[in-house]
Amino acid sequence: MVVIPSSMLAATGTSTSGIVAAAVAFGCAVTILGAGLAIGWIGSRAVESIARQPEAGPRIFTTMVIAGALVEGVTFFALLICFLVLYWLK
Amino acid sequence: MGAVALLAGVLAEFNPLEPSQSVSLFPVRLGPWHLTVSNHMFMVSVTAIVLLITIPLAAKPRIMIPRGLQNLVELICVFLRDEVVRPIMREQTDRYIGFLWTVFFFVLSLNLLAMVPSEKIITLLTGKKSHFGGPATANIWVTGALATVTFFMVHICGIKQQGFRHYFVNLAPRAPWWIMPLLYVMEIITAFVRPLTLAVRLFANIIAGHILVATFLGLILIFKNYGVAAASISAVVAVSFLELLVAFIQAFIFTLLSALYISFSVFSEH
Repeated sequence: MVVIPSSMLAATGTSTSGIVAAAVAFGCAVTILGAGLAIGWIGSRAVESIARQPEAGPRIFTTMVIAGALVEGVTFFALLICFLVLYWLK
Repeated sequence: MGAVALLAGVLAEFNPLEPSQSVSLFPVRLGPWHLTVSNHMFMVSVTAIVLLITIPLAAKPRIMIPRGLQNLVELICVFLRDEVVRPIMREQTDRYIGFLWTVFFFVLSLNLLAMVPSEKIITLLTGKKSHFGGPATANIWVTGALATVTFFMVHICGIKQQGFRHYFVNLAPRAPWWIMPLLYVMEIITAFVRPLTLAVRLFANIIAGHILVATFLGLILIFKNYGVAAASISAVVAVSFLELLVAFIQAFIFTLLSALYISFSVFSEH
């Protein structure tokens, strides 16, 4: 016996029109495009610099993780604003 | 067998996103004040009690070659002090390291206890639906409170270090007189936006992990298929490991950025 939680069903269909949903989805996609490019660049530069100087490896890895987390923070800002737009226009 | 079916039914009614929302547990009356304790407030208190018990226990055997719990806590503390904070704060490290250690351990414990499904365990044990648990940092007000603590710490430590007038004078760099008002406005905006970014970064990372788990579990409800359930549960396990990594990284980033902001205000940088 599977009971579907009604709160999960009610969470769908909150936007007033299709174009708002399309705009939000497009915004999310562009945000993820930027984030993917940024984290890819950070990773590739980090790998290059570790290859040039392997004894600085741990330090470069730590810096890479920090920069990646900062970029992710900015990404989540944009994603949160996309979700807020979706839920404001009830 | 009937009890198992009943419990499975009770557990299946669980919305995976429900612990991430603030669910009120019980009201508390202190004289004229009415508080409603929510599950996130409960988790913050539980985390505080766990840390208040664990950290003194770790500091108790003060042996020079640490082992066990003392070794673990000392490893984290020494790493934070020597590799993270000392390059940033140089000679003022020992004044602010207590606050930074506290922030790190508190945020880390909040993030890790979010992965423990305590409300589902209590439901399994008692048979009634329980809400005593949930990711506390998935609540913007909890992370906002942590960021507010950092905000007050930054400015109060800056004022204590440089004096009231000197701190505000040193907010902006030397520039031609006609651009100074703009620089001051930007510095004031920065002073408020930085803790806001701390709060939103931590909140968004934790809630994104939980939304991802809820999305994968929702796929089972859409397809109603054992194969999809097997793939989905494996994906949920993988995402949970990623969430553990994100818990550590976000606690580290919170501490690092708090140290950076305190160093900006303590060392007159202009």
